[in-house]
Amino acid sequence: MITKTAWKNIWRNKTRSLVVIASVTIGIFAGVFAVGVMNGAIDQRVDEVLENEVSHVQITHKDFRSNNDLGSYITGVNSIVENISSMEGVNAVTSRLHLVGMANTARKSAGVKIIGIKPMQEKKLLSLHQELMDGTGDYFEEERGELAYIGYDLAKNLNIIRYRITGDVISKLDSAGLPGEVISAITGFKGSRFDNEKSFKKEMRSLLTSEQESGFGRLILEEAQTFRKRAKFTLTFVDRNNNQTGGVFRVGGIYDIPNSMFESTMVFVRDSRLRSITEMPDNTAHNILISLDDVDDAGTMTEKLRKEYPDLEVMNWKEIQPDMAMMSEMAGAMYGFFMALILAALAFGIVNTMLMVVLERIKELGMLTAIGMNKKKVFRMIMTESVFLSLVGGIAGMIVSWIIIRITSSTGIRFSSMQEGFEAMGFSSHIYPSIGADFFLVVTVLIIITGILSSVYPALKALKLDPADALRTE
Amino acid sequence: MKVLELNNVHKVYNTTHVEVHAVNGVDLDFEEGEFAAIVGPSGSGKTTLLNMIGGLDTPSEGKIEVNSTDLSTLKSSAVIDFRMRNIGFVFQSYNLIPVLTAKENVEFIMNLQKWPKKKRDERTMELLKAVGLGERAHSKPSQLSGGQQQRVAVARALASKPKFVLADEPTANLDSKSTETLLDIMEKLNRDENITFIFSTHDARVVKKARRVITLEDGKVVSDETRDK
Repeated sequence: MITKTAWKNIWRNKTRSLVVIASVTIGIFAGVFAVGVMNGAIDQRVDEVLENEVSHVQITHKDFRSNNDLGSYITGVNSIVENISSMEGVNAVTSRLHLVGMANTARKSAGVKIIGIKPMQEKKLLSLHQELMDGTGDYFEEERGELAYIGYDLAKNLNIIRYRITGDVISKLDSAGLPGEVISAITGFKGSRFDNEKSFKKEMRSLLTSEQESGFGRLILEEAQTFRKRAKFTLTFVDRNNNQTGGVFRVGGIYDIPNSMFESTMVFVRDSRLRSITEMPDNTAHNILISLDDVDDAGTMTEKLRKEYPDLEVMNWKEIQPDMAMMSEMAGAMYGFFMALILAALAFGIVNTMLMVVLERIKELGMLTAIGMNKKKVFRMIMTESVFLSLVGGIAGMIVSWIIIRITSSTGIRFSSMQEGFEAMGFSSHIYPSIGADFFLVVTVLIIITGILSSVYPALKALKLDPADALRTE
Repeated sequence: MKVLELNNVHKVYNTTHVEVHAVNGVDLDFEEGEFAAIVGPSGSGKTTLLNMIGGLDTPSEGKIEVNSTDLSTLKSSAVIDFRMRNIGFVFQSYNLIPVLTAKENVEFIMNLQKWPKKKRDERTMELLKAVGLGERAHSKPSQLSGGQQQRVAVARALASKPKFVLADEPTANLDSKSTETLLDIMEKLNRDENITFIFSTHDARVVKKARRVITLEDGKVVSDETRDK
């Protein structure tokens, strides 16, 4: 009866209750959706680390991580790879050579890490081959040793990517629905060539308004970029005898991932080519990458390999990328704290409403006490009303959040204007929000707690009422 | 059989500057089945006396025994429970719960006492029929007239089969016809079920129906008249 009465009571003043419910709905939606976006970004970043950058477990020479010395290599790699490949729970294993050097074109140079890989093996562990940009080439499909797979940012830094507005580009932009004034403005620099993004953007800024640039600049930039297929560049580095050496390479393909640091530094070439230039002995490598059937087994596999190879350094992805591991592990607590802050703010609104409720119903509360409703039941009635108010808004907020997250988890949300900033931190600017069912359970519990806590002060006020005084109230 | 005994009951309110003696040495006994009215001018102490009898207020001095139980010896939670089981209240402004129907208002107290649903439904309908509102069981207070609301309040007061009903100015907001109907109903319940009714009132119509009239002035009983009817 108390529950039924409490439910009916919240609809006595529909407008007021709906305002409170709407504020809780909006607050919960804002919180859950923001958490969904954060969670999606973190999940994508972790996937990125696992699938494109680090894999699950790595083995290196004990000194390699501290000195990056070419001489700190693992010997007997073939038997190690064979042994680990046969272990239960291991998906694939590959070995790599690592060098630090310079990439140079006629106009530009950049510091890079040169990775010697076995492309067919790499494909079994990582997905970097799937990040190939359309029209830039392929992922080591030809056996030619001078082919390299480089990042989009490095290609831009080395002026391998250039910009040109052609008739074809203008008609593509026109059919993409760009406004006529933007099309006519960019037609102004039709035929001009730009060596780099900076000079192209400078010209674009002079022709477009800032609104036009922020709305369509990225699309124009993407359409205007041209690649010199199989463009030549040199890689220079020191060999194992500390002699300056290098080789001429050609861009075999360009990859694009949401990590500008990785993109601008990591150059992949065939292991065989790098080994011959550096005179690295056969059956050696600087690190071994291991992918597992289940990433959650990374910890136990690490321990197992440490015992198996005590002279080598074995680390799992969480140890190699502790920042990501910490972010991933702390995410739950962070989301909970974030939601608790939002609910704490909402609680003040609920307290205010419930105080009004008590003040408006002083006489009725006095009557209820007079006819025999004890203090415990009065307290429970006020508390139930408060929990209902919070829960109705909270559930509405969660339903709205669930629908929006479900839609955006397949379409994604583009933060185009913040792309550079996101990618500088290794995050994609195209985020697919995601959230686990368990989080909704946590939020439901938090909402109930908020409702209960918000009711305490108004309910105590109600308990302090003297029934005789309350009945005299007009 | 005595259901209520008041011995030298005083109530003093301490306002900022002066002491107000609302009830000043009242001695009264009520037998089971009485139909009594407490009358007197405003400020004579009628409502204060009723509140003390009902355990809503405590005497500054003296003793009130309901069914031989001294209310001052009970803890506040026990007083509330005692009230629920022994005393019915009817208020001047009805004080029904506006979001509940007539039936729900009447059965509210039985719910608090955890009566089984079947028994509760039977008692509720019996009471609503007794006050002439069997057909309006599912109406909300806002859909009822003042007189009908007060009849629902009477049904609610009788729900838990109390020993007596305290009614504070029950007819003050009612027109003549509603007052007449209400008084007839209460009189019938008094006669049929032997429930003691004690009213505080200004209303001559109530006084006319009462079989005992106690007059208060300045917190003192100045007359106590029993009539044969």
